[in-house]
Amino acid sequence: MRVLRLCLFAVAAPFVVMTAGLAVTAALAQDYPTKPVKIIVPYPPAGTTDILARLIAAKLTVSLKQQFIVENKPGAGGNLGNEVVAHAAPDGHTLVMSTAGNMTINPATYANMPVDVLKDFAPITMVAQVSNVLAVHPGVPAKNVAEFIAWVKSRPKQVFFATSSPANTPHMSGELFNIAAGTDMTPVHYKGSGPALQDLVAGQGVQAMFDNMPSVLPLIQAGTLRGLAVTAAKRSPTMPELPTIDESGLKGYAVVSWFGLFAPAKTPAAVIDKLHKEVVASMSEPETTKKLVEIGTEPVLNTPEEFGKRVASEIEMWRAVAKKANIRIE
Amino acid sequence: MDVLSNLAHGFAIALSLQNLLFCLLGAVLGTLIGVLPGIGPVATIAMLLPFTFTLSPIPALIMLAGIYYGAQYGGSTTAILVNMPGESSSVVTCLDGYQMARQGRAGAALAIAAIGSFIAGCFATVLVAVFSAPLTSVAQSFGAAEYFSLMVFGLIAAVVLAQGSVIKAVAMILVGLFLGLVGTDVNTGKQRFTFGVPELSDGIGFVPIALGIFGLAEIITNLSKPEERSILSQPIHGLMPTMADFKQAFPAILRGTALGSLLGVLPGGGAVLSAFAAYTLEKKIAKDPSRFGKGAIEGVAAPESANNAGAQTSFIPLLTLGIPPNPVMALMIGAMMIHGIQPGPQVMTKQPDLFWGLVASMWIGNLMLLVINLPMIGIWVRLLSVPYRLLFPAILLFCCIGVYSLNNSAFEVGLTALFGLMGYFFLKTGCEGAPLLLGFVLGPMMEENLRRALLLAHGDPAVFVQRPISLGLLIMSALLLAAVVLPAVRSTREQAFQE
Repeated sequence: MRVLRLCLFAVAAPFVVMTAGLAVTAALAQDYPTKPVKIIVPYPPAGTTDILARLIAAKLTVSLKQQFIVENKPGAGGNLGNEVVAHAAPDGHTLVMSTAGNMTINPATYANMPVDVLKDFAPITMVAQVSNVLAVHPGVPAKNVAEFIAWVKSRPKQVFFATSSPANTPHMSGELFNIAAGTDMTPVHYKGSGPALQDLVAGQGVQAMFDNMPSVLPLIQAGTLRGLAVTAAKRSPTMPELPTIDESGLKGYAVVSWFGLFAPAKTPAAVIDKLHKEVVASMSEPETTKKLVEIGTEPVLNTPEEFGKRVASEIEMWRAVAKKANIRIE
Repeated sequence: MDVLSNLAHGFAIALSLQNLLFCLLGAVLGTLIGVLPGIGPVATIAMLLPFTFTLSPIPALIMLAGIYYGAQYGGSTTAILVNMPGESSSVVTCLDGYQMARQGRAGAALAIAAIGSFIAGCFATVLVAVFSAPLTSVAQSFGAAEYFSLMVFGLIAAVVLAQGSVIKAVAMILVGLFLGLVGTDVNTGKQRFTFGVPELSDGIGFVPIALGIFGLAEIITNLSKPEERSILSQPIHGLMPTMADFKQAFPAILRGTALGSLLGVLPGGGAVLSAFAAYTLEKKIAKDPSRFGKGAIEGVAAPESANNAGAQTSFIPLLTLGIPPNPVMALMIGAMMIHGIQPGPQVMTKQPDLFWGLVASMWIGNLMLLVINLPMIGIWVRLLSVPYRLLFPAILLFCCIGVYSLNNSAFEVGLTALFGLMGYFFLKTGCEGAPLLLGFVLGPMMEENLRRALLLAHGDPAVFVQRPISLGLLIMSALLLAAVVLPAVRSTREQAFQE
C-alpha cells in the first residue's frame, strides 16, 4: 500500500509541483481533518499533559467535526511518543501534546536523541504552564530565598533536594538555582513527586524540593511544607504571596513547566494555522480557562513563531546548565 | 464520640440514592476489570476520569474508589479459576487458590476470598476513620534506610514462600532482580539492559511478566497434556465453604487483615507486599506447612484479606497528607483536583462531606461486592466447564487486549508471549514463578532506596544499623535467613516439601 502510494507520488510529483502545489495545500486545509486525528501523549494517562490533551481533543472533536483521539505512548522520558509523531505523515492527522521537559531539556541532556526537536516538529501553540515552587521542610530555618542561600552555604555538601525524576524541569530548576546562587545542593531522585514529597514532609534526609505547584500547593497551605519562592518570571495568581526567585535576588532566573501542541515538521502551514485558530478559540473560552486553573495550570497561548523561538532559546539555556552541572543521560 | 457522629454523617451522605448508585457502578465496573486479565484499575480510572468532569465530586470519587477495591475482588477470581493474576496483589492467591480450583473446590476458594475481603474491608474502613493520623506517622518514620531493610526482609521471606529447593527459589529471585534492572536508572537516567529497544526504556511491565509466567505457561502446560483436563475431571463440590473451612480460614483472615492494614499505609509496594507477607506468615505458623501450594484455604484467605485491607488503608496517606502512595491514588488526586478540591490534610476539615462520605461508601461498597460476588460464584465456577478449545482462545484474546491497552504497545504483547514460554520452561524444571515476581517488584525498590540512603548518608553504610526500625528489620531478616539456611531446620523443611 505504502509502496503504491509512493509510486503514484513519484509519477505525479513533477506535474503538480509548482502549478498545483499551493492549491493542493489550500484544499487540504479546507478539508482538514479528513479522518480521525490522533493526539499522542508521550506520558502515561492522568498526568497534567494527558488531562490537557483530553480537554483539547474533546473541544476539537466538536469544532472540527472529526474524532480527535488521545493515545498514550509513554517511555524514554517522552522521547518514545515524540519519535512516533516526528516520523508520522505530516498531514495534521497525528499531533503530539508535549512538554518543556521532553522538547527542551531532553535535547540538552540525552546523549542519544531519536528526534531533532527543531527540525522534526512544527509548533502549533503553547496551551498552559505550571510554575515550580521551591519548598522546604518546616525545620529549615530559612524564611526566604536569601536566608535559604546563606543557610545552604553554611552547610557545604549537607543539603539535599528531592526531585521527581532526573532531567525534568523541577530537577533542572534546582541545578539552575545552584549555578545562579553558587550553592552545592545535591539532587536526590525519586520515581515521581509523590514519594519525594513524602520524604520531604517526613524530614527523611531531604530538606528542599523544587516541584510543580499543583502537587506542593496543598502541603504549603497546610503548613507541612514552607514555600519560599516560585521559579516562574512572574508571581503566580494561585499563590501571589510567594515571591519569584528572580525578585528574590537571582536576576534573570525563570523556569516553568509548559505544555504545548506540536505537529510533525512539513505539515502544511494552512493546516497549522487552522489548528492554531481552533485550539486558541476553544482554550480561550471562559469555561475551559476555569478548568485549566482548577487543575493547577495557568492558561498560556502563543503563535507558532513565538512558540518555536521559545523552544529554541530554552534548549540553549538547558545546554549551558547541563554542561555546567555535568548532566548527561545515556 | 466524634468519630461515631462523623461516621453517621458519612453514612447519611453515602446512602443517598445517587451516591449508592455510583458506588454500585464503581464496584461492578471494578469487579469486571479485575476479572479481565491485564486491564487494571489504573487504566480504567484514567479512561473514566474525563467522564467524571460532569459529576459532582462526591459521587465521582465514590465511583473511582469503588473501581479500585472492586478490582481487588475481581482480580482474585481469575487468579483462582485460571491461574491468571490480573493484579500484582493477587499473585499469591494463585498459589493455593488455583490448586483448590483443580481439586474442585473453586466455589469455596472464591467464597472465602470474598468473605475475607469483606471482613478486611470493614475492619480497614474503621481503621481509616479512627487511626488515620497515628498510622500516617508510622509511614512517616520510614526513610530510605528503613525501606531498604523492609525490602531485604521481603526478599528473604520470598525464599520461605517457595516450595521445594531453596537453591531454585534463590535463583528465581535473582532472575526477578535481573528482570527488574531493565529500564532507566532512577539516579542517573541511564538506560540499562534495554539493548536500544525504546519500549524497554521504562522497564519491563509487571503485567506482561505476571500474565506470561503464570497464565500463558499454565495454558501451554494444560495443552500439552490434553487427556488430563484437570479442572474438569474433578467434580465440583459444594459452592460454599464448609464449617471446617471457616474454622481454618477465620484466624487467617484476621491476621491477614491486621498485616495488610499496617503495610497498606506504606507507599510503593504496600498492597503487594502485604499479600506476600500475609501468605508467608500463614505458612510459617501453620502446623503443617506442606499443605501450602496444594490448596490450603488459609493460603487464599490471608492474602486476599491482606490486599483488600491494604487497598483501603492506602487511602490514609492520600486523605491525611495529600500524598499518593501508589498510581491509583495519584489518579484519585487528579480526580480531586479536576473538581477543584486540593487534596491534603485539610480535606478532612474543609470537606467533611467528601471525607466521611467516601469512608462510609467504602464500607457500603464492600457489602455490595459481597452481595454481587457470592451469587456470582456459581456462574464463575461454571466457566470452568467451558471446554478448553473455547476457554483458552478467549482467555488469550482478553490477555492480548488487556496487555495492549496498557501502553498501546504491540511490543508488550510479544513480551507476554515470550514470558509465557519462559514460564513453561520454569514449570517443566520445577522452578516457581512467585519468588521471581517478588524479586522483580521489590528489587528495583530495594536498589533505589539503598542508593538513596547511601547518598543521603554520604556513602556511610552504617546508616542501616544506626536507625532503630531499619536495624530491627535487618535482625528479623537475619533470623529468618538463619531459619531457612540452618541445616537442622532445612532437613525438616525439605522433608516437609518433598512428597
